[in-house]
Order: sequence, then structure tokens, then C-alpha cells
Amino acid sequence: MRRLVYETSEAMKIALSAIWANKARGVLTTLGIVIGIVAVVATMTAANGLENSFKESISAVGSDVVYVSRMPWIIMDDFFKYRNRQPLTLKDAKKLETRLASARAINPTTSTRRDIRYRSAKMEGVRAVGTTDKHIMVTTALPEYGRFLNSIDVQYKRNVCVIGKEIQEKLFKDINPLNKKIRIGRYNYRVVGVMEKQGSAGFFNGPNFDRQVFVPITSFMKNYGSRNRDFDIAVKAPSQEAMVDFEYAVIGEMRNIRKLRPTEDDNFSVNQMTTLMNAYDNVMGNMVLIGLLITSVSLFIGGIGVMNIMFVSVTERTREIGIRKAIGAKKRAILIQFLFEASVVCLIGGTLGVLASIGVTELINAFFLPASLSPGIVVVALVVSAATGIIAGFIPAVKAARLNPIEALRYE
Amino acid sequence: MKALEIQNITKTYQMASVEVHALRGVSLEIKDNEYIAIMGPSGSGKSTMMNVIGCLDTPTSGNYLLEGEDVSHMGDDQLAEIRNRKIGFVFQTFNLIPRSNVLHNVELPLIYGGMSASKRRELAEAAIERVGLSDRADHKPNELSGGQRQRVAIARALVNNPSIILADEPTGNLDSATGEEIMQILNELHNAGNTIILVTHENEIADHAHRIVRLRDGMIESDEVTK
Ligand SMILES: Nc1ncnc2c1ncn2[C@@H]1O[C@H](COP(=O)(O)OP(=O)(O)O)[C@@H](O)[C@H]1O
Ligand SMILES: [Mg+2]
Repeated sequence: MRRLVYETSEAMKIALSAIWANKARGVLTTLGIVIGIVAVVATMTAANGLENSFKESISAVGSDVVYVSRMPWIIMDDFFKYRNRQPLTLKDAKKLETRLASARAINPTTSTRRDIRYRSAKMEGVRAVGTTDKHIMVTTALPEYGRFLNSIDVQYKRNVCVIGKEIQEKLFKDINPLNKKIRIGRYNYRVVGVMEKQGSAGFFNGPNFDRQVFVPITSFMKNYGSRNRDFDIAVKAPSQEAMVDFEYAVIGEMRNIRKLRPTEDDNFSVNQMTTLMNAYDNVMGNMVLIGLLITSVSLFIGGIGVMNIMFVSVTERTREIGIRKAIGAKKRAILIQFLFEASVVCLIGGTLGVLASIGVTELINAFFLPASLSPGIVVVALVVSAATGIIAGFIPAVKAARLNPIEALRYE
Repeated sequence: MKALEIQNITKTYQMASVEVHALRGVSLEIKDNEYIAIMGPSGSGKSTMMNVIGCLDTPTSGNYLLEGEDVSHMGDDQLAEIRNRKIGFVFQTFNLIPRSNVLHNVELPLIYGGMSASKRRELAEAAIERVGLSDRADHKPNELSGGQRQRVAIARALVNNPSIILADEPTGNLDSATGEEIMQILNELHNAGNTIILVTHENEIADHAHRIVRLRDGMIESDEVTK
């Protein structure tokens, strides 16, 4: 055991001095490794960045909320299957509320696209959402300033609205929007609050939560009509843990409300945050796969290069190996020596790769999405590069360890 | 005490179609603290015999007892262990590690023997002192003369206090004056109690030994005590 420690520290010294003696060669050899590591880091950083901004943007959905809608959020199969479904109505929401006593909150919403104006400033096709004061109970989003809609707004069909951050920025710029009148479609609304920034899932073609305006559901229906309106019903579960059971309870009650016979399929859909997460994971899985493919190809090429240079190194040092064996180095000691050399070469490549990745991360940050190089990724990159070295160095190292000392000593 | 005993050793190299009989039945007994020279014409089997005695190679047949231990059938790693503990090599071409300094070269057998760093250093410095190179301990081999390099090799050979020191043509690459200096060191080691086996084809070198074994065609031609 102690001997192994000394052999290993000797191996390390030899490896470093051998690499130092062939600096340029070592650096060139590691090019493939460098590219591979940059690919690993870029893939993981981008994936991380995407995931973070995705999670941030869907956090408003609420992880303990079930959404009952006419359509599934993500349609994997035939769209026409769902097309003939009846819209969900406010009545459905009312019935659900009386039947689901355990729900912490039930909030129906409906939406439409309208142009909105403040004086001469205009934004086209903004999502106007009719909702109730319960809205802030089912999402994590809060007003940044002003207030959210209250029950009186809803009860008296008041023309007041709460605007998303992007709307405040674009329509009002430096002006305080509170109590200003804006036009949503053909109707005037008074701004009572501004929502905090939520980030957007825009790169996924997902909803942009900062580009919407909330109005009382009652005034929404009065102004924009209630016929054929389709509602989404957000139902907040009693607790995060009860989500699974709660989803079945919601489905059961909805089937009762819709008077479905046991043999009939649901004619509504139940969505939740995990639906989005799963869809996201699907997309991301493919992206990461592509990244890993690039990575493994370049690491493979890099590994071949390292193997090649290690064969050269073994041949160049045949005589040295003979000397070491003659004075008592066992196979293991020689094996460790060359495995060390290979993995140190690769670690140097890995380190250069990580340094290059810092630049790449900055680029991703500047032009694409918020990305950061986490310590975990750095560790993974270095471990991967060292492992590549050990794998690539193995055959040359075995060759060295097996050399016959007499022949090795005679080698010129 | 017997340092080593070889009994009816043969070594046959299998070439493409022919068999080369490098040793054809050699028996030899060497006692502790003997100083023995092995001589013979080129190709007579001297190096082959040294390789077997030095446990770098195993005989095709016959037995080899090193300090009573049968080493003729050992595997590579076992032989490495034996070489590490019981043999000190001095080669014609010095065979130092070029990138390591004198101290590290001398320490090397102890590293592979698993000795702690402080103990290693102590023993290595003592060995270097014995060959008179204390002021060169941090020099690289290419900063030393041939004679100095061979002294480093001797220090390395004796650092682990081996049962035998094997020197295959130790003065072959040195001028005669320097060669004589090296022989003085070997003489001193012998006087201090070491067993020394020397291969040479020069009579002046062999004269330092106390016993001369002559090989011819892979067999012992003569074996005489000279002192
Ligand atoms: N590895 C080998 N393969 C084949 N033949 C060898 C090998 N080593 C030595 N020989 C042969 O064995 C004989 C003895 O060689 P060697 O022991 O080197 O002689 P010496 O050292 O006395 O000059 C020679 O004929 C030589 O050619
Ligand atoms: Mg020879």
C-alpha cells in the first residue's frame, strides 16, 4: 500500500517532467480534448441556461395547481380528436368549486388578443386575460406595484386592469402607469397595478407572461362577449404532496359535471406544470444528445491522438523503462506512470477546454440566453478529460509495462 | 555463506528457424564477499549469464538459488522484487534516467522498494557520499563526466544494500585512468563486505578480482582463484 503511494508520486513526477520536456507536442495533442471539453461544457451550460429560464418562465403556472382546459397544453397525437370538444364554461367552474371542497382556490380565466393603446403608444395582439381576485392564489406572480384585481372589481364589472411588465415598459416608459387610462380593444381601462417581471419562454414559442393584461372576468365578458368563450379553470391542490390524488379527484368531478358514462373518454383535459416540464425534457433530451454526440466524437478523436502520442512516448523511453524495471519497478509501477502521463496530458487539454469554455459561456450569455458555468460542470469536464486519458493511455501503458527489461535496456 | 548457486543452467534462444544455445549447462557457486570476474570471448554467453544471475531473465533449464531462494521459476513481478532487494546493477552504458538528478537516480530503487521519503534521502545521500559525489547531488546526468556517471550508477547499485553487485563491462565506456578510479570504488565496496561479480574482457580489470571464471561457447572453460 505504502509502496503504491510512492510509486504513484514517482509516476506523477515522471509524467510532469516528461510532459514539460515536450510542451508543444502535449498541447497539440490535446486539441481534440480541448474541443471535446468545450463541446461538453457548452452543451451543459446551454442546457442549464435553457432549463433555468424555462423553469423561471413557467413558475407562474404553479407547481401545485391543476388546470382544467378544453385542450391539452401539449398535443402529442391527433389534434382533430380534441377539436369537437365543448368549451369549458363558467358554470363548469362554479360546479367544480361546490364539489371540490378540498381545493384551496379555483380560478376561471379566459383570454383574447387585443391591441392596446396609451395615448399614441400602441401594442398589437396583446393577450387580455379575464380573471378573478383568486388569480394571485394560483400563480406565484405578484404585482410589482399597485395592486391586483380584487373581489369588488370582479363583482361590479369594473373596467380596471393590471398590466404585465413588458407592457409597462413599452407603453409607459418612464411615466407612472397607475390610474392612467389605456384602451384594450375598444374599451377604456384604468391601470391599478403592474405585475413583476416573470421572464419569457419565448425561445420555445411559449407564452410571454410579461406581455399580458389582466381584467376582471366579469367586465371581460361584458365587453368582449361571453358566447362560445372557452375558459381555463385553475384549481389549487390542498398541498404539493396531494397533487396526484387531487388530479384524479378533479378528473372524477369533471366527468360527473360533464355527465360522462364510464366507457366514454374525457371530453376535457387536465394540465399541470409537470406536463410542460415533461415536454421540455423531451426537447432538451434531444438537444443534450446532439451535444453529447459532438462531444464524444471529438473526445474520441482526441483520445486517438493521445493514444498515438503515448505510443511515441513509450517507444522514446523504452530504455528508461528498461532501467526502471532492472532496478525493481514492477509492471504496475510502469503502468501507473504512463496512465498518469496520458491523463495529465488530457487534464491539461481539459483545463484549456474549461478556459475556452468560459469565453464560450460569455458568448452564449451575450447572444442567446442566460448561461453560467457551474462548478459542477467544470468538475465533470475535468473528470471526463482525465478518464479519456486513462482510456486512451491504457494500451500504450500496458505495452510499456510488458516490455522485456533486457530488450528494453538494449534499445537504442 | 553462499551468496548464490547456479546448477546446470542452460539458456536457449529460439530464433526463426535455429536454436541458439547461449548457455549449455553452467554450474557455479559464489560465496559472500567474493570478488569474481567473468571473462570470455564475445558471444561466449557472459551477458546471458549475467542476466540470469541478475534475475533479468530466467534459465531455460537448471536451478538458480539466490541466498538459498530458488528464483529460476519466478514470474516477472517476483523477479522485479528480487532485483529490487538483492541485486545492484552497474552497466557499461551507465543507464541513468536522463531527466532526473543524481539524488533522484540513486533514490529510485528505494522508491520502488516502498521506502519513506526521509529514509530514502538519508540512504541515497550516504551512497552518493561513498562514491564521492556529494557536491554533485543535484546535477543531471548530462552535466557529469562519464566517470562521474558511472559513480552515480554504483551509488544506485549499492543504495539498497544488495546481496550482489553485478557490473557488466563497467569500464567499457571509460578511458583507462577513469576506469581505474571506478575499479578503486568497486575494490572499496568489496573490502566493505560486498559480493561483486564483474564481466570484462580486459585482463587489467580482471586482475582486481580474486577469482576468474572463463566462458567459451556457453560453457565454463576455467574457474580459478587468483588471490
Ligand atoms: N535475445 C537473444 N536472442 C537470440 N540470441 C541471443 C540473444 N541474446 C544473446 N544471444 C546469443 O547468445 C549468445 C551469447 O550471447 P551473449 O551472452 O550476449 O555473449 P557475450 O556477452 O559473451 O558477448 C550469442 O551467440 C548471442 O548471439
Ligand atoms: Mg556481452
